[in-house]
Amino acid sequence: MNPSLKLALLVLIALEVSFAQVWSVNVALIVVSLGLMLINHIPWRRLLWLTLVPLFFAGTLVWSLMLRGNASPHFLIVLFTRMFVYVYMGGWFTLTTKPLWLTRSLEQNAKLPSKFAYGFLAAFNLMPKIQAEVATVRAAALMRGEVLHVWSPRLYFKVILAAMNWSDQLAAAMTSHGFVEDAPRTHALTVPLVARDWWLFGISLLLVQVGLFVGLP
Amino acid sequence: MATVTVHALTYTYPKQARPVLDRLSGTFPAGKFSLLTGVSGGGKSTLLKLIAGLLPNDEPASITFDDQPLSAIAPGQRASTVAMLFQEPSTQFTMDTVENELRFALENQQVPATEIPRRSDAALAFVGITPLKHRKLMQLSGGEQQKVALAIIVAMDSDVILLDEPFASIDPPTRLVLLEKLVALCTKRGKTIILADHDLSGYQQWVDHLAVLADGQLHLLSTAETQTRFAAFTPQRLQLTHVQLPNDQLTVCLRGTQLGLTHGDRQLLTPQNLKFYAHRTTLITGPNGSGKSTLFKALVRLGRYQGHIAYRDTDIKKIHKRHYARQVGLMFQAASAQFLNVTVAEELALSQKYGNSTYFTSTRIQQLLQQLNLAGRDDRVLYSLSSGQQKKLQLLCMLIMAPAVLLLDEPLKGLDYASIQAVMHILTTVQRDLNLTLILISHQLSGLNDLVDLHLQLADHQLTYQGVRT
Repeated sequence: MNPSLKLALLVLIALEVSFAQVWSVNVALIVVSLGLMLINHIPWRRLLWLTLVPLFFAGTLVWSLMLRGNASPHFLIVLFTRMFVYVYMGGWFTLTTKPLWLTRSLEQNAKLPSKFAYGFLAAFNLMPKIQAEVATVRAAALMRGEVLHVWSPRLYFKVILAAMNWSDQLAAAMTSHGFVEDAPRTHALTVPLVARDWWLFGISLLLVQVGLFVGLP
Repeated sequence: MATVTVHALTYTYPKQARPVLDRLSGTFPAGKFSLLTGVSGGGKSTLLKLIAGLLPNDEPASITFDDQPLSAIAPGQRASTVAMLFQEPSTQFTMDTVENELRFALENQQVPATEIPRRSDAALAFVGITPLKHRKLMQLSGGEQQKVALAIIVAMDSDVILLDEPFASIDPPTRLVLLEKLVALCTKRGKTIILADHDLSGYQQWVDHLAVLADGQLHLLSTAETQTRFAAFTPQRLQLTHVQLPNDQLTVCLRGTQLGLTHGDRQLLTPQNLKFYAHRTTLITGPNGSGKSTLFKALVRLGRYQGHIAYRDTDIKKIHKRHYARQVGLMFQAASAQFLNVTVAEELALSQKYGNSTYFTSTRIQQLLQQLNLAGRDDRVLYSLSSGQQKKLQLLCMLIMAPAVLLLDEPLKGLDYASIQAVMHILTTVQRDLNLTLILISHQLSGLNDLVDLHLQLADHQLTYQGVRT
């Protein structure tokens, strides 16, 4: 499916699920997302993480609401399943979408200004760099006799400083390779947006509407 | 072909009183190879960035390409007018792989999609790095990254090519390859090349034109003056007259057992036994990207390795991290990685707080700052110092910490001749006074003779100690 349409579909469904209180639709979305992840060969470890983390948060949320507060069991089930809808749908999206392909699609299909599209990509590419930077800053501090904990402001000061520095460097790198804001560009690879994508988008959205309508109390 | 003319260019960094470039004028002739030289911090990078349009210029008309300012050139054509190769190899890319970066650059120039593969392949072939096409940029060595950056400039077909100390961390063979490619671009394709470097060795036969940047002004040297300048640097050869092979009398401080190193899927060091000796200065040499920095990262537990490393016969993984970090310190190749504060004074104060304050008294630190030409800069923000000044301050901060073993990754990188002399003098004195163990990696080879006791060479994935060469 076209990445931009896929993203739009997920955002729309997530928005609807946030307001509607129909747990059967939530369960259906969970089953579909899980199925799609399994078809796409999700590594077992990742699936385990995607299950345990929301299980903990959803569990504690529901538990605390049960102890204090007067929420109905129906509402609790909705809350519990809603968390899994978000995580599983997000899991399916990240599993099946390459960031560069999404960037190209946002630029070509969604007509997003290339500045934003490539800014998004650059931020994504920065992730491993940030992890390495944190490790380096902590090691550098230890060598100077300072212990920086996860909550040390100095650690964040350094990482933010590094990130600001990277953003300047990145801007220079993009400029020196000919990138000019709002200037027209060609596309080495074209991201297809075909009728099938629209059908998938429309039918999926329609099914969710029908489900929500039927399931409303 | 394009002639670059700079006319009465003044540039002052924000919040600084003195302009770094002061009514600077000069001409870089079309199709010629110009070498721009001057002390570190003298404004070479600033000038190049201004020419490349990477710094905002209040008077755009002061820099012209064939009498046209950059702002008058259509956005899509700017990269084919001027392009720049950065000093820090890894910071010049936006994409993940070599191929995607080439696509990105050519897309920006509005090259038709059908034309992009051909131009990419031709550029990679010209630089001789076709096998790197599908590699991830961040997994390449610095030398390979510079080659990729050059290939992108070749693909963009830029008329003016600017290079800001491009060989600062590049080994001699890679540097020679890059220089030959640049000269070919100059003579065969009529490109205008402006290369900034304070190290003049190995340029004599290639360069048309030597320009010296000093006190914010540009001076063109006469042929005789040019030759004098070159003579001061050539030949730069590793001359170690009193290195010895290790013997039994030396104490082992760090010991690797079946120590192996990898980078991505590449084996850098095949597992071997290795010893580092206490109270001596060991120099590690070897080609760029061969794994010297990776070895240092492994020694300070910042990177993975195969086998075991022991410090004074205890496995380093069994020593408390906090304790070990005070015993074995690393002066990072990038100065900014070392700094934890904002101003020069704060940074020095931190080192004094936990470092060897009996030896490094405030008076001694002031003397050292004088020697390093860093005095009177207490309130300066670290990141506003030039790269050379940062490097010198970084060295001082790590010396004050005085760990038993100090690893120095390219401590002379980006330093001018006077600074190298000062640094070598300080290193020699402190090492002798405090009986430190120094292990250093350096591509800058001249001036090391007085300091180095042992020479470890990394070649063919193996580290071996070398004696005096005849």
